[in-house]
Parts: sequence; structure tokens; C-alpha cells
Amino acid sequence: MFQNRAEALALALPAAIFATVVFLLPVAILLSEGFRAGSAWSLSAYADFFSGTLNRTVFLRTFRLGLEVTAVSAVIGYAAAFAIVNLPAKGKGRMIGLVTLPLMISPVARTYAWIVILGRTGIVNQAITGLGLSAEPLRLLFTETAVFIGLLQLFLPLMILSLISALENMPKDAIPAARVLGANWFQVFWKVILPLTREGLVVGGTLVFTGSLTAYITPAVLGGSKVLMLETLMYQQVSVANDFVSASVIAFILIVMSFAANILLKRLATARNRR
Amino acid sequence: MKKALIASAALAALSPLTAAAAERTLTISVYAFAQDDFKTLVYDPFEAKCGCKLVVETGNSVERLAKMEANKANPVVDLAAVSMADALAASRAGLIDKIDTAKLADFAKLYDVAKDPNGDGMSVGYTFYATSIAYRSDKMKIDSWADLLKPEYVGHVAFPNVTTNQGPPALYMLGLALGKDTPDLKGPIEALGEKKDDIVTFYEKSSQLGQLMQQEEIWAAPIGRFSWAGFTKLDVPVAWATPKEGQTGGMNVLVLTKGSKNQDLALQFMDFWLSTEIQTKLAEKLIDSPANSEVKLSEAAANNLTYGEETAKSLKLIPSAVALDNRAGWLKTWNEKVGQ
Repeated sequence: MFQNRAEALALALPAAIFATVVFLLPVAILLSEGFRAGSAWSLSAYADFFSGTLNRTVFLRTFRLGLEVTAVSAVIGYAAAFAIVNLPAKGKGRMIGLVTLPLMISPVARTYAWIVILGRTGIVNQAITGLGLSAEPLRLLFTETAVFIGLLQLFLPLMILSLISALENMPKDAIPAARVLGANWFQVFWKVILPLTREGLVVGGTLVFTGSLTAYITPAVLGGSKVLMLETLMYQQVSVANDFVSASVIAFILIVMSFAANILLKRLATARNRR
Repeated sequence: MKKALIASAALAALSPLTAAAAERTLTISVYAFAQDDFKTLVYDPFEAKCGCKLVVETGNSVERLAKMEANKANPVVDLAAVSMADALAASRAGLIDKIDTAKLADFAKLYDVAKDPNGDGMSVGYTFYATSIAYRSDKMKIDSWADLLKPEYVGHVAFPNVTTNQGPPALYMLGLALGKDTPDLKGPIEALGEKKDDIVTFYEKSSQLGQLMQQEEIWAAPIGRFSWAGFTKLDVPVAWATPKEGQTGGMNVLVLTKGSKNQDLALQFMDFWLSTEIQTKLAEKLIDSPANSEVKLSEAAANNLTYGEETAKSLKLIPSAVALDNRAGWLKTWNEKVGQ
């Protein structure tokens, strides 16, 4: 395609310069703040961060919610994707359109809708009190449950789309063959579908986990300061305490968590494949 | 070649004009609040009057102060609108200059509390606001700030987070009501911490309260008077509390950047903003309560704003130095007692 390597590099140069100047350089400067104590390099900012009970609580909560959202979206995602790929072409197109529809709506609007749905007079509480499950409306807003639901609704489409793509690429006769050989549905999933769709799961899992870690609007609106997450804590440190060192530490932790999740998922997928 | 020469000649011809325009450009740094109205009522008329160009930068206080600090050697902003405490922070950081009030024609008309809020000659108040409790008058009665923590009410309360402008003043009043009014706000924060699971939310943005009140999620919340108009439009009965401990609040001020090359123009703009005409227009639009004592308001506007010298004097404001020296400590205590 290109005459030589230099030509390809020349074409990539404007984008590389742009990304370096407006993204890589500012991020590097911000992250370096967390590794300095005065003029010397130091990890004291990280030691200080993890010595605080609140910071540890928020870190663990963010990690746990990220895992929970990823796991549940994988379970729901497999079921939905499996159902969609087995539809006739026309129905499949419509269903994929429905899955992608929420992605076209602002996360702010989608999150604020949950305030109405989960409120004391919302449909969830109306159903609970209507069915006699509780005499009083339950408090659902500003809880971990609300944040979990909001994040799940926000990122589930990404998991479904990744798995649809993976299931589409799976040999069509793999499942019937396994069934003929006497595998039950659990065995079919565990020994056939999962190994053959691992790439989709890795992509979807990374997108959902990273998205859950770094989402700001949903935890801020549905959890508020009663359910602090790393990103809401980071905003607090910058906007109130003007503490860019703590913000830098949190940003670095989020980046490490995202990369670690991606590496771990890939390892798990390749490990299963080797077996 | 010919085209290039023509272009160069044109640029050369235009450069004095560009320089002249640059000399008459005033850059201001303000809150992002009601900017469309400010443009119509303040910015456009001032530009027409001074024949200059106004560049408006918006953002929250921390962002804007950080930017002023970063450009300390070569200031970009000429005038800023900030809170009293932030003005003191800017003063301590050497970012702002003394204001020559002799150049402000309407300075004498300002309420006394607005003339020099921090007592250092570095700021002039342009608006102030009361902070009290908006509550569902059909569900409860508020006579004291401590009523918010009553067992029958606490499960229906939204309290401002300590990170908001309303948080510390509301905590200060709660401390007064509980007889624990130390500058570190430890008493009220601890009292709130004991009830943190009952309180509906510790809100960050007052804009979300209307919806929560409408949905019966909350019955009461301490708010600034500037948010009050929205509550009066709800379909539910909401009242403004006058607790026995009094009302608190805050004041926003105008400051001049140290080293600004447009200080005279900035003072002209400050004078324009503080004039009876502009203060009246901003108040009638329910944007800002007036700091100018000669402003006369319609009953509708007066009912929705913090209006009059007696009201201004009666507000129990946290002194800027106290706020500044205790901010980090408040956040630390809050995160220990409420945030976990």
C-alpha cells in the first residue's frame, strides 16, 4: 500500500503529534504529580492515599462494583446475544437497533431517568407496594443498588454487542454437534460457547469494567456522596480541596485497574484455550 | 508572489486595528450561572457603552482560581467574580489588587456589609444570599435547624455536602442549634454522621432538589435563596423556614487581578455592574439579590430574593478567614464521619 515505511510514518505524524500534545503530555504531567514529594521522586502520595480508611473503602467499593457490573452484564449479555443471533435476519437487525438505541442517548438523560424510576413514587416502588411486598416505599435512590443498576444499564449494550459479534463468528454446527454428543446446556456453554467467544468476552468485559470504573455522572447522580466512588472522590479532591496530587494518585490507580483487568481477562481466555 | 504581497499589505494595514482592539479587550472570569441573561443585561450594554470587547470565561471557583494562579506572571483575566472566601484566598496568594473605590460612582450606595467584605480593601460585594431550609409545609414544621435531625423528619432530608457552598453555612447553623458552634464544625458533622444512613442524600447540586421534592423523596433541604424561585413553581406546598437561630448565607464579590493591564476598564465594568440600573435589572430577573441599597424591587422579586439592608445585616456569615483556614479540616472530618 505504501511505497515505504517513511511514507506511512509521515501520514501518521499529524495524529501522533496531536495526541502527544493534547493527551499524552498533559496526562504524563498530571500523573507525575503523584510520584513526587517536593523535588524528589517518591511513593509517599500513594502510601498516604491507602493509609486513609475512606480511600480504601472507596477503592474497594469501586473495584467490587466494577466486577459485579461486569459479571452480571456477561450473564445477561450471553443470554441476550444468543437469543439475538438466532433470530431471522430482519428480527436480528431490529433487536441490534434496540440494543444500540440507548448508546445514542446521553448518559446524563439515561441516568436522570433512573431518579424517576427508582424514586419513592416511581414504578419500581409502585410495583413493590402494589404487590404488597412492602407497606412503605423502599429507599432505592442514593444507594449502591441504584449505582449498580445505573452502571449496568449504561454498559450492558457494549457487552451484548461484543458477544453478538463473537457468537456470529462461531461455527454454526458447534452447538448441535455438542448436543448430539450428549452435552447438556451447561456443558455446551462451558466447553463450547465460552472458549469460542472468549475474544468477545474480553473486549466486552474490558469495556464494561473500565467504563464502570471511570463513569462519573451515574455514581454522582444515583449514589451522591453517600456512595463515593474513585472518580467522584477524585472530582471532590480537585474541586474542593484543590488537591491535584490526590487526584493524580486516583487517576493512576484507575488506569492501572483498567489495564490489569484487560490483561487478566486476556490471560484467563488464553489459559482456557490452552486447556 | 503578487497575491502574497497583497496579503502582507492587508495584514500590515490591519495590524494597528488589531492592536487597538486588543488594548480595549476586557477579560472577566465569572460563575457559569445565568450567562444568557448576563449577556443581555450586563455584557452587551457594557460593550456598547465602552466600545470595547468583553471576553467571558466561566467555570467553578477552584478551576478559575487555579487558572489565575497559573497565569500570575502574565494575567489573562482582568476581573473576577468569586465568593468572599475565594477572594481572601486570592488575596493571600497575591493574585488580586486593592480596589480604588474612589473610581466607583455607586460605591456609597452599597450596603455596608458589601463595601469591604473581607476588610482588606481587595473586594466589593455585588450580591449576597440567605441560606435557610426549604420544606414541605404540609408534612412538617421547621422552627430550628436542629429539627432536620428529628427522628420523624430526618429520613426525608437532603443536606448539602460539605463540598458545596451551602454545606459549611448549613453545618454552622446546625452547630448553633445544637450548642456546638466551633469553627472546626466537628459537633454538627458528628451529629450528621450519626444520622447519615437516615438522611436521603448529601446533595452536590441544588438543581436536583426540585425533582426530589416533587417526587416526595425529600421534604426538606437547606438551600440558598437564589434556588428558591424554582421551589415555588412545584406542585407541592413548600415554605421558606425562619429558624429561631436565624439564617446564614454567603456573599459573592468582584476582585481585580494583580498585574492586569486593563484595570481602569475593569473598574469601569465593576462600576457598571454595581450601578442601580444593572443591579435592579438582575434582581427583577431573579438572577442576583442586589448589593446596591438604592435598588427598589417589585413585591414578586423581593419575595424571591434576599432583599434589604436589615436582611443583609441579619445573616450569620462564616468569616472568610475561618472558612479558608478550616476547609481542609472540614472535608477530612466530613469524610471520616459522614463519607464512609
